[in-house]
Amino acid sequence: MKVNPDLDFIKYMKSAGGDALKKCYQCATCSVVCPLSSDTKPFPRKEMIWAQWGLKDKLIADPDVMLCHQCGDCTAYCPRGAKPGDVLGAIRAYAYTHYGFPSGLAKMVSSAKNLPLIVGLPALIVLIMWILSGGMHVPSAEDLARYGFGHFFGHWDWPWLTKNVAFIDMIMVPAAGLAVYSAYRGVSAMWAAMAKQHDVNAGYRPSVNQFVQQFLWPAVTEIIQHNRFRECKANANRVTGHLPLMLSFIALLFVTAYSAFTQDVLGIFFPSLHGPMSMINPVKIVANIAAIALIFGIGVLWSNRAAAEAESGTTPTFYDWFLIYEIMAVGITGLCAELGRLVGVPVLAYFFYYLHLVSVVMLFLYMPYTKFAHLVYRTFAMAFEKYRASEFVTK
Amino acid sequence: MTEQSPSGTGAVLVVGGGISGLTAALEAAEVGNDVFLVEKNPYMGGRVAQLNQYFPKLCPPSCGLEINFKRVKSNRKIRMYTMTQVKSIKGAAGSYEVSCETAPRYVNNNCTGCGACADACPDERVDDFNFGMGKTKAIYRPHEMSFPMKYVLDKGACSGDTLRIIKDACKYDAIDTEMQPKTFTLNVAAIVWATGWNPYDPTKMTNLKYSESDAIITNMQMERLAAPNGPTNGQILRPGDNKEPKSFAFVQCAGSRDENHLEYCSYICCMASMKQITYIRERYPEAPIYVFYIDLRTPGKYEKFREKLMADKNTHFIKGKVADIIPEGDGVTVVAENAVTGDKVKQKVDLCVLATGMEPAIKAQAASLGLEVDSNGFVVSNADKGMISAGCANKAADVVTSAQSATAAALKAIQAAK
Repeated sequence: MKVNPDLDFIKYMKSAGGDALKKCYQCATCSVVCPLSSDTKPFPRKEMIWAQWGLKDKLIADPDVMLCHQCGDCTAYCPRGAKPGDVLGAIRAYAYTHYGFPSGLAKMVSSAKNLPLIVGLPALIVLIMWILSGGMHVPSAEDLARYGFGHFFGHWDWPWLTKNVAFIDMIMVPAAGLAVYSAYRGVSAMWAAMAKQHDVNAGYRPSVNQFVQQFLWPAVTEIIQHNRFRECKANANRVTGHLPLMLSFIALLFVTAYSAFTQDVLGIFFPSLHGPMSMINPVKIVANIAAIALIFGIGVLWSNRAAAEAESGTTPTFYDWFLIYEIMAVGITGLCAELGRLVGVPVLAYFFYYLHLVSVVMLFLYMPYTKFAHLVYRTFAMAFEKYRASEFVTK
Repeated sequence: MTEQSPSGTGAVLVVGGGISGLTAALEAAEVGNDVFLVEKNPYMGGRVAQLNQYFPKLCPPSCGLEINFKRVKSNRKIRMYTMTQVKSIKGAAGSYEVSCETAPRYVNNNCTGCGACADACPDERVDDFNFGMGKTKAIYRPHEMSFPMKYVLDKGACSGDTLRIIKDACKYDAIDTEMQPKTFTLNVAAIVWATGWNPYDPTKMTNLKYSESDAIITNMQMERLAAPNGPTNGQILRPGDNKEPKSFAFVQCAGSRDENHLEYCSYICCMASMKQITYIRERYPEAPIYVFYIDLRTPGKYEKFREKLMADKNTHFIKGKVADIIPEGDGVTVVAENAVTGDKVKQKVDLCVLATGMEPAIKAQAASLGLEVDSNGFVVSNADKGMISAGCANKAADVVTSAQSATAAALKAIQAAK
C-alpha cells in the first residue's frame, strides 16, 4: 500500500484537538468499547491509523467519522491517552471546512484567530442594514409596548410587506440561502466520496421518495429519539442537554414559521395580528418554553464539556466551544431583548435585539462550516449507512 | 534487642527473600559480609515458588530454589527472618538503624513438619498461596517445599476449641498460641531492596469482568493450576466447576502498557503466556487457543520459542487488545478488534487467562520508608546512600534478569558497606 501522508492535514489535526493522535499504538480498545462501533467495520481504530498516516481523503469519505457522537468512552478507556474521541471530532471539523462552500468563508470560521471577523462581519451587516433602513432610533416606551420589535427597521405603509420583515428578509434569506446551498453541495460531495470509497455501485437508484422514506426519515427519527446518544456510558448526561436543545430548535422553527405566517400573510388582511404576541397565546408560551429549554440545554452541554475537559482530559477546541457560545448567545440575547421589552426599557431591549439578530445571522450563515454542520452531515451519514446496507446496494 | 554485626564490618540488609533477595544475600555473604535477610511471607522463594515452571529452561522452581536454600542454610554469615517486615529506617549510608517487626508464626523451632496438627485441625482458611483457589487447614505449610520447613498458624481462622485441639495434637510442644509480634533493630551499612512484585489487581480492569466469572483467571492462577503441588495437582481445570476446558483465550497486556493502570510493559507476560500455552498443550493437545495481543514482545533468544509456538495450527494469534469480556453460562466471550483484518472478533472460550502484569510490591510502603521510587513505584538505586534495588523491585523483569540484577546489587552493597 502506497501512503502519501499529507503533512498539512497532520498539522491541522494537531491544532484542532487531535494532538494526542500520534500516541495511538493500535491496540483497538477503542473499537471494542465504542457503543456505536459495528461488528463488521469497527471504528475508531482504523481512523486513528489513517489520521496518523495523513490519509485525509479516506477520512472525509468515511461515514464512521460522522456517526461518532463523541461520548468519550474510547478516550476514557484508551491506554495511551490518544483521545480517539477528540481525534474524530477534529476530523469532522476538518471535513466541514473541506466540504464548505465558499471555502474562504469555511476557512475563516474554522480558526479562533479570525474571531474579530467572524463576529464583526455579521455585526457590520446588521448595523449597515439598520442604518440604511433609516429606522435606527430608540423608540418610546409606548411604541415598544405596542409594536414590540416590529418597527426595529422602521415602518412604511405598504401593506403587502412590512418594512421590518423586508429588512430582516434581506439579511436572513441570503444568509440562510447560502447556508442551505453550501450544506447541499457539501453533503452531495460527501455522499459521492463515501459511495466511491465504499464501492457502492447501485444497480438502480432510489427515487427521492424512496430515499426519504427508507433512509433519511429513519435516520431523522433515530436522531430525534437520541437512541445512539443513550448508548454512551462515559458521558450519559449529554442527552439531558442535547435533547431539550434539539427540541427547542424544532419548536422555535415552528414558532418562527407561525409568526411569519400570521404577521406577514394573515396580517395583510387582519392588521390586528401585527405587534407582539400576547404572553398567553399558546404559540408564545411554546416559544418561551423553547427559549428556556434552549438555554437550559446548552447550559448542560456547556458544563458537561467543561467537566470533560477538567476530568477526562478532553482537549478544549475552538470548534467545540464556538457552537456552545454561539447558541448560548442566541438564547441569552433573545431572552434579554424580550425581558427588556416586557419591562419597558427601550434602550436595553433594542440593544439586545440587535445582538440577537447578529447572533442569529451567525448561526445561520456559519451552520455548514461550524460544529452546527453535524446537523446535516451526520444525518446524511446515517442515511448513507442505511442505504449501504439496503437492497439497492447489496443486491 | 539489637542485632549487631558480629564482625564489626558493614553488614548488608536484604529485604525480600525471593529469587533476587536470595541471590543478593548469598553473593554478599559469600564474599564475607554479614547479611540479614528478611522476608514477609512465612516461606522463602517468593513468586518463583508459585510458578509451575520458569524461564529460561522451563525448570520447576525447586530447580533453582533448593540449591539456594541449601546455600543459605549452610552459610553462617546469613541470618534469615521470615514473617518479618521493615518498619522504619534511621541513619545514613554506612550506619542504618532498621527497625523490623516479626509477626507471630505461633509455631516455634520445635516443629518437625510432621503435619499431625494439620491432620487434627477442623478449621480451614483461604489458600492465598494458590490465589484463593482452594483452602488449607488453619495450621498449614504454605506449600510442600516451603523453607523453613515449619508450619504456620492462621490464628484468626481458628476457634478456641481448634487451638486446643491442634496444641494437643503436637507431640513436640511446637505450637505457642500466645506468641507476640517481635520488634528488633538491625544495624547495617547498606540495604538491598528485593521486594519483588504483586500481580496487578485484575478487578481494577472493570471491562474485563474478572470478578464476574470463574472462567476468567490470571496468569499466576494458571501457574498454580498447572503446578503439581497446586490446587488441582497440575490438571488444568476451570475453577468453580472443575471442568476440563475445551478452548482457551489469553488476554495480553491486561493492565500493562495502559495509562489507566500500569503504564509500563511488564516484560514477562508475553513469555509467560507462551510458556502457559505449552502447559495447555501437554494436557490438551488439540484445544484451540486464542492469544489477543498488542505486540508480542519476546526479546532475544525467546524469539525462537515464539516461532515454535506460532507454528501450532490450533493456536491463533490475534492482533487486538481484548477490551470487553462477556461472562456466559459456560465460559466467556472475549471481544476484540482484529487490527489486521479490521473485523470485530467475538470468541467464546471455556477458560480465559488475563496476562496481568507486575506491580512493585513496595509501592504503597515506599513513602513511609523514605525510599526513592519512580513514578511507577519501582525503587531507584542510590549507591551513594547504600540503597540498592534488585530484581522486580527495580523494574519488571524475568528470573534471569532478576538474578543478574541481584548480583549487581550485591556488588554495590558490598562497596557501600566497606
